[in-house]
Amino acid sequence: MSAAATPPPGAYVEWRGVHTAFGGPPVLRGLDLAVARGEVMFIIGASGAGKSVTIKHLVGLLPIDAGEIWFAGARIDQLPERAFAPLRKRIGMVFQSATLFDSMTLAENVALPLRKHGGLGHRAALEDARGRLAQVGMAEHADRYPAELSDGMRKRAAIARTLALSPEVVLFDEPTTGLDPISARRIDRLVRELAERLGVTAIVVSHDLPSIFGVADRVAFLYQGVAHAVATPAALRASPDPVVQQFVTGRSSGPMETPGF
Amino acid sequence: MSTSDAPDDHAHAAPAGGRIARLGAAALGAARATAELWRVYVGTIAGIVRMLRGRRGRIVSRSAGRGELWRQLHAIGNRSVVFVAVTLGFIGMVMTYQACLQLGRVTGDYSQIGSQFLRLTVSDFGPTLTGLMLATRVGAGIAAEIGSMKVTEQIDALRMSGVLPIDHLIVPRFLASLVMTLMLSTLGAAIMYAAGGLTAQASFGVNPHTFFDLSLLRGRHVAMFVVKAAVFGAAIPVVAGFCGLRARGSSEGVGRATTAAVIGGSFAVIVLDFAISATALFVTGGDL
Repeated sequence: MSAAATPPPGAYVEWRGVHTAFGGPPVLRGLDLAVARGEVMFIIGASGAGKSVTIKHLVGLLPIDAGEIWFAGARIDQLPERAFAPLRKRIGMVFQSATLFDSMTLAENVALPLRKHGGLGHRAALEDARGRLAQVGMAEHADRYPAELSDGMRKRAAIARTLALSPEVVLFDEPTTGLDPISARRIDRLVRELAERLGVTAIVVSHDLPSIFGVADRVAFLYQGVAHAVATPAALRASPDPVVQQFVTGRSSGPMETPGF
Repeated sequence: MSTSDAPDDHAHAAPAGGRIARLGAAALGAARATAELWRVYVGTIAGIVRMLRGRRGRIVSRSAGRGELWRQLHAIGNRSVVFVAVTLGFIGMVMTYQACLQLGRVTGDYSQIGSQFLRLTVSDFGPTLTGLMLATRVGAGIAAEIGSMKVTEQIDALRMSGVLPIDHLIVPRFLASLVMTLMLSTLGAAIMYAAGGLTAQASFGVNPHTFFDLSLLRGRHVAMFVVKAAVFGAAIPVVAGFCGLRARGSSEGVGRATTAAVIGGSFAVIVLDFAISATALFVTGGDL
């Protein structure tokens, strides 16, 4: 991908030769990827290509088999679970499903990281949480339980919970999946605003082509366990690579091998 | 073996190698699972220590905690009362009936039936049968709940929120199970004994004053009761929580975790019962 694929100077987040197998066929086979501070990087690829695994490695939710992961100039892949706690204050993650805790109200859900990571008292955290929910238009639902809300509302509350700690990096795992087009574009706008207004680095796993081509600074296309192509959205769209073209155009037939399908 | 002119040898060697590899993988898997179970247990004890010291206790005693502990006390205790009472009541009836039937055929002397049944109930059947009942009802519930949270990434979300999953999920269940297994074992043993006494009177005319004779009950029997109930109460949520945390995939993985929790919890109760009884026999020189 020539000049467009060149990682920006001073990579803030970096995967170096990462291998992961989970005791079966390898998922990642030497992934190299660098993300600059304040960048919006989309990770795309077929289902099972290792996109979610890649971002979960960054916050220690899944261990790597080999390779290195660097964040803000420090190697983090060998840290024990306890040492990841301060790191997870700086790197937030919005999961594919909302992952709100069913036994807590939305305010309590958002207050949890504020109390555990932020050290706020119960009442102060709840008050702060209500403000965070208001920012995503969920103030009137603060005292409701997740089961009473729609998928889109739960997703917004989950985003409020992740942003409550003002993280430097936010990982989004398929944030627009299952949402209506309007909600999806609102999430896209939020991702863009986070990067532009607050300088947040956003790493987004997505299949949603309008999101990819409308929001990303750069796109990493994962294929066969490596970053097959890393480029700006425009460069990726114009890529002559037949595998990239098949994915970008969504053709069912072509050279691309998709695991299990 | 690798020569091309020995196809039969080759054909036999591969399955043999495969069997050894499978055995090795199974042994490794079992060793890893044991180490993981131990880590969950140690993590639970460490979580309780942290809670008592108050570093994380503030959190545990509030949102995750005070409410969660009460919720678990209710889920493990109150919701198991009828199940334990009915089960142990029927077992008490059947056991006494069978004992009286056999005694009637041999000696016809029912004078010792009540006091011996009480000793057995207090030192063994009360806590063990209650433990087995709770291993199924409570163990399945814990494994299903934690397993569902695992496969829907809620456990990962907890970790991202700065919460240790063991502190948040297993510690409240561990404490609730400890308290409630003691209470339910007491209730179960009492109902078992009472049901046995009523059966002996109704079916064989045994005088209730003869049956409800506490004279043979000793402090060591009560000590056995307390130790067994406490150990079973501790083991059930740890085994079930461990199974739930190992759930993989989707609903099928949760199902497997739930089954494993019921089998593992029941097995743990039986093995621990044997270990505690054997230790007590050894310590008391056989005078139980």
